[in-house]
Parts: sequence; C-alpha cells; structure tokens
Amino acid sequence: MVSTPARPNPLILAAVGFAAGALSGLFGVGGGIIMVPAMVLIAGMAPQRASATSLASIVPIAAVGAVIFGQADSVNLPAAAVLMVGSLIGVQVGTRLMARIGDDRLRIGFAIFMAVIALTMLAS
Amino acid sequence: MTAPEILALLGIGLTAGALAGLLGIGGGLVIVPAMVLITGFDQHVAQGTSLLVIIPAAALGSFTHHRHGRFALRDAVALALGGVLGALLGSLVALSLDEELLRRLFAGLLLIIAARMLMTQSPNGERTERAVT
Repeated sequence: MVSTPARPNPLILAAVGFAAGALSGLFGVGGGIIMVPAMVLIAGMAPQRASATSLASIVPIAAVGAVIFGQADSVNLPAAAVLMVGSLIGVQVGTRLMARIGDDRLRIGFAIFMAVIALTMLAS
Repeated sequence: MTAPEILALLGIGLTAGALAGLLGIGGGLVIVPAMVLITGFDQHVAQGTSLLVIIPAAALGSFTHHRHGRFALRDAVALALGGVLGALLGSLVALSLDEELLRRLFAGLLLIIAARMLMTQSPNGERTERAVT
C-alpha cells in the first residue's frame, strides 16, 4: 500500500478539478480519466479513494456543463431519459460480470475498439 | 423520437453502463461517439446529453461511497470548486467550436485514451464500485 497523507492539499485538488472540469465541459465526459491518476500521482491519494472522490465531484461538474449546453439548446431530454434507463441497468450488469471476466483482455479489446471508433469519426 | 431510435439509445445506455461497471471507464466516452455515429446526433447535442446522463449515475455511486466512508467530503468540495470553473470554461469553448472540429478533437481524445489503456497495467486487486462517469 502507498502511504497517504492525512489531508491532500485543497489547492492542488482545486487545480486538478479545474483541469478535469475543463475536459468534461469540452468533451461531454466525466473527467475522472484525468482526476483519478492526477490525485494518485500528485496528491498521493490511494486509487480507490481517488476514484470515489472524483465520482462525487463529477456531479456538480457535469451539472454545470449540462446547464450551459442546455441553454444553447444542445441537450436532448428524451434521449437523455432513455440513455439513463439503459445505463443504470447496464452498470448493474457490468459490475456483476466484472468478477467473471479477465480485466486485461477486455480492456485491451475495448481500447482497440475505441481506436477504431476514433478513426471512423475522423473519416466521416 | 422513433421506435428504432429509442431502442438504439437504450442499447447505447446499456453498453455504456456495462462497460463502466466492467472497466471503470467513463460512460461519456461510449455515449458521445455512439450518439453521433449510430443515432446521428450533432456532436454538441451528444456531448450536452452525455453530461446530463452522467449526473444520476455519479450521484448514486458517490452516495454509496460516502456511506461507506470511502472519501472525505472536504476533498470532493475542493475538487468540485475548481471543477465547476473548469466546466464553465470548457463548455463555453466547446459551444463556440464548429461541430466538425469538435468531433475531430473528440476523436483525438479517444485515441489518446485508447493508447493509455493499452499501455497501463491493470492494478490487481484494486476493485472499486464503478459508475457511469
């Protein structure tokens, strides 16, 4: 285990949050992808704690982005409702399946799939 | 929305949720490209909608984490204070960009994340509850 300081510096956390928030607003994602590694590497937090803390901060971060996109008429409410239903069921299924499937093979498969999607988006 | 669109969105949500649960990757990374490529939404609408979809899942997940004392509220508040400022800035920049350019930038982000996923080892035994982020 990595030893964790009792109190990560709040200024460092705010700076990490700012970078993650900017990424979230810019691309419509959560921002955990930079928050978690940054908190582990810079603030010395344990990975599980970093991931839980990041998830909590994503709530207000995504809310700000959703409001601004909403004001620009760039949120589709019916689509969001259907996606929410699907994802809340999906996350239950995924969490249960996690115990049975090898993490590495799945991760590599998904990474390759994402690269293909990215190239499709660039080509379209 | 037409029935096929609703079914497609339900499938996208299920996939995004399942992958988030399996890999701990953000649901937005699945929702945004799928909405653009499969259901033909505009890049801006896909991103704005994705942000809204993320909220309940993150709220639910962090409620559970908090009940189990897995994070300190003051740390989350510090992150969020910087985060909302960043989100404000990022959203305004995204909305000011041309749809085509934003889609290309998003594709670049996906490529970087895919490369990072291929290079990092998964930490054995580090399992957390995951949600759509």
